[in-house]
Amino acid sequence: MASPASANMNAVRETMDVLLEISRLLNTGLDMESLSICVRLCEQGINPEALSSVIKELRKASDSLKASENGTSQG
Amino acid sequence: MAHWSRFEKELELETRRLISHFTSIQDEEDQNFQMALKFAWSNFKFHRFLDVNRHNVQRSINGIHEKLMVHSDLSKAESWLRLTEEFLSSPLPNTEGTKSDVHYSVVALLLHLSDSPSNTNYCERPRLKETEKEDKFDWAKYLMEGEDIDTGPFPDTPEWSEDESEEEDSQQPLSREDSGIQVDRTPQEDHEQNDKTPSVNEMGESDSRAWLEQHIVTSYWVPNSPRFPHSLHLHSNLYNVWDQHLYNTGPLYLPEEKSFFTETQVIRETLWLFSGVKKLFIFQHNDGKVTVRNDVVVTHLTNNCLHSVLEHIAAYGQAVSRLQKFIDEVTGHSAEPCPPGLNSSSSSSSSKKSSDPPFRTYQAFVWALYKYFTSFKEELNTIEKDVIAKDETVTLSSVLERLSPHLAQITMLHRVFCIGVADVPPGTPNVLRASHLLNTLYKAIIEYDSVGEASEQSVALLFSLWVETVRPYLEIVDEWIVHGHLFDPAKEFIIQRNKDVPVNHRDFWYATYTLYSVSETVESEERLSDAASGSSGGEQASSSRQHTMVSFLKPVLKQIIMAGKSMQLLRNLDCKETAQPDDAERKSLYTLFLESVQTRLWHGEESPTNTVTKQQATKKSLIKMQSIVARHLELDDIHDPLLAINFARLYLEQNDFHEKFSVGNVILDRSSESVTCQTFELTLRSCLYPHIERRYIECCGNLMRTLKKDYRLLGYLQAMRNYFLLEAGDTMYDFYTAIFDKVLEKESWQQLAFLNVQLQEAVGQRQPEDSNRLSIFLETIDPARKKQPVNNLDGLTLSYKVPWPVDIVMSSECQKIYNQVFLLLLQIKWAKYSLDTLRFSDLTVAAKTQEGGQSEESTAKEPINQQIHRMFLLRVKLMHFVNSLHNYIMTRILHSTGLEFQHQVQEAKDLDQLIKIHYRYLSTIHDRCLLREKVSFVKEAIMKVLNLVLIFSDRWQAGFGAWKIESIDKMESDFKNCHMFLVTILNKAVCRGSFPHLESLALSLMAGFEQC
Repeated sequence: MASPASANMNAVRETMDVLLEISRLLNTGLDMESLSICVRLCEQGINPEALSSVIKELRKASDSLKASENGTSQG
Repeated sequence: MAHWSRFEKELELETRRLISHFTSIQDEEDQNFQMALKFAWSNFKFHRFLDVNRHNVQRSINGIHEKLMVHSDLSKAESWLRLTEEFLSSPLPNTEGTKSDVHYSVVALLLHLSDSPSNTNYCERPRLKETEKEDKFDWAKYLMEGEDIDTGPFPDTPEWSEDESEEEDSQQPLSREDSGIQVDRTPQEDHEQNDKTPSVNEMGESDSRAWLEQHIVTSYWVPNSPRFPHSLHLHSNLYNVWDQHLYNTGPLYLPEEKSFFTETQVIRETLWLFSGVKKLFIFQHNDGKVTVRNDVVVTHLTNNCLHSVLEHIAAYGQAVSRLQKFIDEVTGHSAEPCPPGLNSSSSSSSSKKSSDPPFRTYQAFVWALYKYFTSFKEELNTIEKDVIAKDETVTLSSVLERLSPHLAQITMLHRVFCIGVADVPPGTPNVLRASHLLNTLYKAIIEYDSVGEASEQSVALLFSLWVETVRPYLEIVDEWIVHGHLFDPAKEFIIQRNKDVPVNHRDFWYATYTLYSVSETVESEERLSDAASGSSGGEQASSSRQHTMVSFLKPVLKQIIMAGKSMQLLRNLDCKETAQPDDAERKSLYTLFLESVQTRLWHGEESPTNTVTKQQATKKSLIKMQSIVARHLELDDIHDPLLAINFARLYLEQNDFHEKFSVGNVILDRSSESVTCQTFELTLRSCLYPHIERRYIECCGNLMRTLKKDYRLLGYLQAMRNYFLLEAGDTMYDFYTAIFDKVLEKESWQQLAFLNVQLQEAVGQRQPEDSNRLSIFLETIDPARKKQPVNNLDGLTLSYKVPWPVDIVMSSECQKIYNQVFLLLLQIKWAKYSLDTLRFSDLTVAAKTQEGGQSEESTAKEPINQQIHRMFLLRVKLMHFVNSLHNYIMTRILHSTGLEFQHQVQEAKDLDQLIKIHYRYLSTIHDRCLLREKVSFVKEAIMKVLNLVLIFSDRWQAGFGAWKIESIDKMESDFKNCHMFLVTILNKAVCRGSFPHLESLALSLMAGFEQC
């Protein structure tokens, strides 16, 4: 069971934990799942600046969408 | 290329995940999702950012460290430095090496996203590294367990179920808690359970305690509830196996906290969901939507598999809850405030709501739905009882299988509900809502009906639904056509009474009712028929809104309206003759409808057996026929048995053929007439329409009889013809000759008093009852038109006071047309009269006196006798013309059209038809008297001749010498021109054959012309 692959897997998992800590420290608001998506995207060569701007925009848009939905359902 | 595309695909997948994670839009078809996707792609692909510079990143890291130090966040600063260092030197899933560009770009990303790190409270969490170990331990055990059982004494262990593993009792060393399911405990759980039962250690109580624990449901709805124990068999641990696999293959896979369930619990919750319970654990209600909890898991299915099944169930559950909510709202049981969609027309306050008249169509629909749900819940109850009894294995899929017909029906009902009720925009008036609902049901029935036997059940259900829902409508119709009272407090019927028009008003027939058409806009109501638009108003209006009204009533709508109005009118006519139908004995339209539907369906079921017996009968008769044939052959002295046998065979074959043929027919019949109500429209036609039709004939016949008999309708029609169309020749002769004489004597006749006295005298002598109804008026007309002597009579209008209710038929519009004809007739009569009253002696005497006096002068031109002769000739020609015109109009047109009209009036079925006949009659005579705009040139020519006649007679009266010889020439040529023109025009028209009635006029005019 303890193949090199799984050892690597554990190492990666630890890396992710570290990364989550960093993310928390920086108050990025990313959770584990979004963090792993981001890591995968970065690995695929997406520019981090572009990615960060996309994430910010998505957050903004989804907030406003929710706000408008709330507004209509209350009104 | 292939690599590139795979890479691209992965990227695409990740991007989608990213978006769905951040926007929480799950539906990838969503417009917003697509927009977000596009945005992300454009950013990723066409960004214009610099590549990550590791020096810059390192500088930022150091900068943040310094900043934290400045803020004297020492622990944070320390963590920061340590964590980044640790991260940069750790491996990444798909990247080789450490401190690579990817590492830096991840850090850069976090730096970009960071949100004032110095202002937040942060303390580093100790990272747990024990998960791996724990899982490993578990899994070794699991796998061992699985192998054990596979090779053990029970290799054919069935799939896990609650009561399955009783027999394994002795084999299993582990204790069991719930009906013999093995315990799969983590040490922690063990501990918890020990906590729960610390005090019960006595021997006597422990048994009952154990029993209780076996029979009690673990409180799975409490967070962190203990996992129920279950078998370690491989089959019942599919979830764990799959989870482990995911964990092993994906380094980024996150094990989540899950709530474990047994399948029975899922089934139970499913049943509850279907029966309308709202507070459930697996299924959650969020403002009308039913969603499935994400962390629900059964041990023997993978998460995705369970979810796909549950989502399915949730969709049905949502339909059920929506329908249930609707039912509650309409019945008024709901505790919650009504949604804006359903009650916005009334205010939301319940007090007002209760004061609104009930909306009966929705109530009926809800009642039908309620009945359906009662049966559905019975089914659910039996299933739940089966689950409790544990006599047989009940699985989720078997439950779904069992419920599938019901679920299909619920989907269908929900669809109908959505289209028919929920999609109606708020604020729609009831009439639109009701007819929309009925239309939707009707369309749905026809739609499913066309599928044939495949949807028998659906059609049967929809049909029963429709029959229930249509009840208020039929009751309204019934009330209206039987009692003449349109009782519709909630304003849901397509026809509504206009309150401001009293029954005994002249416009009652036209303006009393408004037919609402169900179309897009709310304002699209139209008047059923407009009084101003005349005879064709009703038809036009009805044809333009074919698609909008309640379609099932369309074929009989006219009858309903007629019957309803007739009944109401009849009620107000206070005639003693119409006996009240006994209400107690009378069956309402709805009962009649139900009865005939029942008999029809019953017939449909019976008919196959009938035909079968009929077939047998025909077979027997054919056999009999054979013997008869044989006997016939014998009678003909042909003792040929072979022939007889052949004949018999022939018949038998035919019989077979016939049998086959008719069997096919029977099958056809069965499918078309059984309970499926195939040919739904036929059903309606045979079950509903005849009743309405019968009532319609009864009502309208009554009304027509009453009008004709008690209200002398025919008498008034005759009176109109008598006075306006001069059919009462003697009476009117007295009247108009008095006027003509006055004109002749050059006295003023245009005095109302004089005219009225003449009229009263004339009429009073012969028809005294009409004398006070008739009066005559002079309308002032502009003097420009008065130039011609023939227009002298313009402005003379006759008026006949028609009492209610006959004035519905003979409106003032009719009188206007009558008056136009009346004026034309007067003009012709005047011309005729003035020609008739000329005396030859006037001319000859005058000529003789002149001859003596001025013989020398006049002989130069033309002999006087010749002039007089020309006058005589012209007079005869004019007389011929006027007489033929007079004859044409009086006999050919007015009389024959009048006869036709009388005939039609006798046959008129309802008042509307009568009105139409009357209008048609009027427009016919109007046309044929050449009063139409289109043929005004003909009329002008005729008027010219009439004018000529008047001038001529004027000159004649003035005596010889008062005019010049040229004027005779002029008159002759004028007359000739007009005459020729008319003959040509009329001949053309006759040749074309378009105006057969003109033939006689054309012929007689032509005859006069040829002789000229």
